[in-house]
Order: sequence, then structure tokens, then C-alpha cells
Amino acid sequence: MVLSSILAVVVFAVMFIMAARDRLSRTAAMGMSALGAVLLLFGTFMGISGNDSSLVAQIVAVLIFVVMFVLIIMDKIERHIVTLCCGLATLVMVFGICMKSFDAVWETLNVANIFTPEFWYTAGSAEESSSGINWATIIFIAGMMVMVEGMAKAGFFRWLCMTLAKLVKYKVIPLFITFMLMSAVLSMFIDSITVILFLAAVTVELAQLLKFNPIPMILSEVFCANLGGSATMCGDPPNIIVGTSLGYSFADFLTNTGVIAGISLIFVLAYFFLIFRKELKEASEQNIDISAMPDPKEAITNKRDFVISLVIFLIAVVLLVTHAQTGLTVAFIGGVVAVLTLATSGKHALELLKKVDYKTLLFFIGLFVVVGGLEQTGVLVVVADFIGNISGGNALLMVAIIIWVSAIASSVVDNIPFAATMIPIIKTLSLTTGTNLDVLAWSLSLGTDIGGSATPIGASANVVGTSVAAKHGYPISWGRYLKACVPATVMVLIICTVSIFVRYGAELGIY
Amino acid sequence: MSKQLIISVGREFGSGGHIVAAKLAEHFGLPLLDSNILGEIAKEKHTSEEELRKYDESARNPLFSRTVNGFSNSPEEVIAQMQFDYIKGRADAGESFVVIGRCADWILRDNPGLVRVFILGDKEAKIQRTAEREGISRERAKFRMEQADKRRKYYHNTHSENKWGDSRSYDITVNSSKLGLDGTVDLLIKYIELKNA
Repeated sequence: MVLSSILAVVVFAVMFIMAARDRLSRTAAMGMSALGAVLLLFGTFMGISGNDSSLVAQIVAVLIFVVMFVLIIMDKIERHIVTLCCGLATLVMVFGICMKSFDAVWETLNVANIFTPEFWYTAGSAEESSSGINWATIIFIAGMMVMVEGMAKAGFFRWLCMTLAKLVKYKVIPLFITFMLMSAVLSMFIDSITVILFLAAVTVELAQLLKFNPIPMILSEVFCANLGGSATMCGDPPNIIVGTSLGYSFADFLTNTGVIAGISLIFVLAYFFLIFRKELKEASEQNIDISAMPDPKEAITNKRDFVISLVIFLIAVVLLVTHAQTGLTVAFIGGVVAVLTLATSGKHALELLKKVDYKTLLFFIGLFVVVGGLEQTGVLVVVADFIGNISGGNALLMVAIIIWVSAIASSVVDNIPFAATMIPIIKTLSLTTGTNLDVLAWSLSLGTDIGGSATPIGASANVVGTSVAAKHGYPISWGRYLKACVPATVMVLIICTVSIFVRYGAELGIY
Repeated sequence: MSKQLIISVGREFGSGGHIVAAKLAEHFGLPLLDSNILGEIAKEKHTSEEELRKYDESARNPLFSRTVNGFSNSPEEVIAQMQFDYIKGRADAGESFVVIGRCADWILRDNPGLVRVFILGDKEAKIQRTAEREGISRERAKFRMEQADKRRKYYHNTHSENKWGDSRSYDITVNSSKLGLDGTVDLLIKYIELKNA
């Protein structure tokens, strides 16, 4: 069994390497895939016939997870197709063939959870099941997507950018600071992709009018979007997953990761101003004809829709800030803002629904199933034990490992699957080592959110920001990006580590 | 010329494909599109042509790139797409032109006026031409040639379902070492005239 599994891994590995190097024809790839699959199935059945079916299930779950990650990194197949196929493979091969457990399938699909009152309303801080599909995350993100589409259609984001630019009289340095702050604040409530999509486009437009290079501003905005996202429960997908899986509220995030993000923001503003001061000063010396600038009001496509979208956004903010007190879950809030947006959109409702990024939602569904496979087979307990052992039960070391390993991993791979995988691990770590779960959760959130800023592919906002810049004729190379953002990332991670040690010293046994 | 004529010229490095394309453009009185496309794009976007040229005819590195909702962080990919849009735009506007590389054989595959040409050459002849043109040693010329062809092949095959240099991907492939550059140009002119007759 072990031999055939190893052979299958070798076959798959060779196939991926050759495919990546463009040395493999379609027929050869199909042949090798079939061979790998046969070896894998053979190994699986051999394993089941023996006494080590749980080991086989673990191996298959890990293999599926590794294949999923490799395919996501290779970016040749759309990532939602990758996670859905790997999710299906988990259901069939891990739960069906290896474990023969319908309960595991049911628990991972987690559909029954949606039909419980606690899913929508909870009196206390109820904890979601972290096993399987996290429907609360998916419904919340879907709802926010509908709301954001409504806001974008009404011209809200462009209006906001242009209004702020007008308020600072189109002066480059104040514009630079204002846009960084706006990026951070908007990203606390709205997905960073949307924030950067509009902010970067307006930045390029203003840069062409004011004759300055938009790259420093776009890099700073991207970094601040990721930092702002780390401040709240709904700012970044890893936080939504952490919050809904471990039962934290918006206020919990704001008073923990939010405070640290706020402190970091001051340093980040100073850092980016210092490294780009030469370019900014040169741009500031130019004479600007303010009368030639576009009027912010022109951004509003429809006044009625604009006011409605703004009101719905404010309702969403109020509901999120108070959800610990009202007992309304994020799934409920997501549902409400979506229904309100659609109900007030009239004939445009269908158009808004069509614009929802279903691929991302499907990506989440497949991902949760694959991670569910690792969890149900006990693989994540093994990983948690490993982290516990190498830290020797030292809570400080454990926190440092979680922050820095999460950050390094998130700088090169998608931070969403990473965070989803780490949640059961930190839960187990907390149970087995007695380390405070809250501290581990804040460490995980900050590590995954901040680490993503380090490279152009670490977070979605980075990809969108660099892409928008390139599409307007300002390509940003890896070198340029790393030179600006790696020191900032390291600086913020140091601030996070020190802040956690100082603030949670009692919980970590320092004092 | 009333009927639209677009000649896409794929080429091996050192085969003289660029010279052949320029002579075809001159003969038919058509504009020649090559890396000068980036100059046009830079002018349109008020940006630096030099910055864009760094990523001309290069494909993304899959390990260093990621796509989110159709947005790619890879400048190579974005700039390739800009050039494809530019070429397609001019073709859709009914213009006739000669275009070198840039996957035009694939991008414009549905255009009835397209003639897809690929110029190859004998290895020795290509090394000699490269060494003479760039004033470098034969070894260095061989290395340059292999690197450039590898890059062009990867770039083409990343953006196209046709394979670079595969005769099935083109209407005509010619070995410029057999007829010389002028002979190759004459052959191609005859072919295009017969095709459009």
C-alpha cells in the first residue's frame, strides 16, 4: 500500500513538473494521471483491506490537499474548479472509500447547520462548527458582494475618492496620506479587491492629470488595504473564517487585532512617506490647474441609488459593530444587506446578482471540504502536536511560530486555504498545550493578513493593484514590489509580535 | 488595396524573419507592426515605452504570478494582452498590415484576410547571421539563439492553442537558408498574390 502510494506521488510530481516546464503533451499527461490514479486507488484498497485504513485516509486526504495547493499555485486551472474537484475527491475517496463514513460526509457538508436558529441568531457568543463547509462565511461574503456591487454601480467609490482628492486640493503628499488612510478604513468593512480596484484606477487617473508616477501610491494603498483588513472580522476572508469558526464578534477583532493594526498603520504611513518622499516631493512641485480636475459629482450615476447604497452600507456597519449585543450572526447580516440591496435595486437586481463573484464562493465551498478531510482524518491533530512539540509547550514560541510561519506561508500561497487549515490546528494546540486560544487566533489572523502584503501574489489586493497599474501602462516588477513591501511587512510583523507579547503577557505566562 | 491583407510572421531567432517581414510590408505598402506597437500603446497611455519594452514577448512565470477575478499581477501577461487588443483593434477596423510575432497567427485566426507565415533557418546559418549582426562569438550567438527561441516558444504556446513553429499552425513555413532572404521574400509574395487572386 505504502509503495503504491509513494509511486503515485512520484508519478503526480513528475507530471506536474513536466507540465509546468511545458514538456508534456496532453495525451502523456492524461496517461500519467490515469497511472497515478490507478496506483492511488490500488494503494487505497490495499490499505482498506488491511488494518491501516485510517492511515490510508490520512495519506489520501494529504495527497488531495497537496494536489489542490499545487494546482492553485500553478494557476493553470481556475481555482474554484480545483477546490471543487479536490473537494469531491475528498468526499468520495477519503470519506467514502477509505473511511466508509456517511457521518463524515454529512458533517463536512454542514448543510443542517443553516437550518438551525443559532445559525442566524444567537443570544451569546455561539461557536460555529469549524468542521466542514463554513456556510456563515459564504453567506456573509455573498451578501457583502451584492451590497458592494450596488455601491459600485451607484458610483460611491469613485465619488469618495474624487471628493477626498478635492478636499486635499489635489496636493500630492496629502493625497498620498489620505488615500492610504482611506484604503485602510474602507478595507475594514469592504473586501480589499473592490477597494483597490477603484482606488488604484482613480490613483492612475489623478496621476496622469497631476503628472506623477502612481506606482508609489498604489503600493502604499495595497499595503494599507491588507492592514485595514486585519483590523476587523469582515475585513479579510481569513478573519471571517477565524471569527465564524471560533465564535468571535466584530468588537473582539476591533479591540484586539484592530488596536495592533491601528498602531502599525502609524508606522506604515511614516515608512511609505519616507521611502517615497523624493518622488512625492518632485510631484508636489508641479503647478496644478484644479479647475481641470473632474467633478466628484460626475461619479454618481444615479442620486437615488447612491443614497440607498450609502444607507445600506451604514446599516451593514452598524449591524456588524453591534452584532455581539444584538445576537445577529454575520450570516444574518450578510443576508439582510443582500436582500435590502436587491429589493431596492428594482429591475437592476438581476444584473447585480449576475455580477456576484460566484467563483470565489465555490472556491470556498471546495476548500472547506478538502480541509474537512484533513480534519476528519486527524491529520491536523498530528500537525498541531508537531507544532506543540517543537515549541516545547512554550506559549511565546508557539505564538511567534504561528505569526511568522503564517506570514511567510501567506506571502507565497493564498492565505484563505492556509487560515482555514490552521484553525483546527490552533484549536487542538490550545486544548493540548493549554495556550490561550484567543491569543493564538489573533496571531493567526495577523500573520495571514499581514504576511500577504510581502509579495505581489500574497493577497488578492496586491494582484489587483499591480494588475490595474500595469493595465494603465505602469508595470510593477517583483523587485520593485519587494523592495517597498518586504521591509514594511517585516516591520509590521515585529510590531504585531511585540504587541501580542506585551498585551497578552499574562495569558502567555510572561508576567 | 481594397481587400484586407494581414500577414503574420512568426520566426526563429537568426532566421532573418524580421527582414523578410519588413520587405513584405514594403512590397505590399503596408505598415509593419513589431515592438513599435508598445510605442503606440505608451503614447496612448501617457507612459514610458521603455518600461513596457522590458516585458515584450515574454510569458508569465507561473510560480511568480497569480490571477484574481481576471486580474493578473504578471506585467508580461498584461502587456501581452495590451498588444493583442491593439492588433485585434486594428484588424477589426479593417486595416491591412504585417505583424511580427506577438501570437498574431492565433489572435487573428478568425480574420479572413490573415496569411500566417513562419520563417525558420538552418542552425549554422542562423548562428552565423546572429554572430555577424551582433558582433559576438559563435558560442555566444548559439546561446542567444537558443534562449530567444525558448522564450518565444514559451510565450507563443502560453497564449495560443497552436504550437510555435509547427507547420500545422501556419499557412506556409519557409526555410530562409535555402532560398536566401530575397528568394524567401519573392516566394512569399508569389504565394500571397496567388492566395488573394
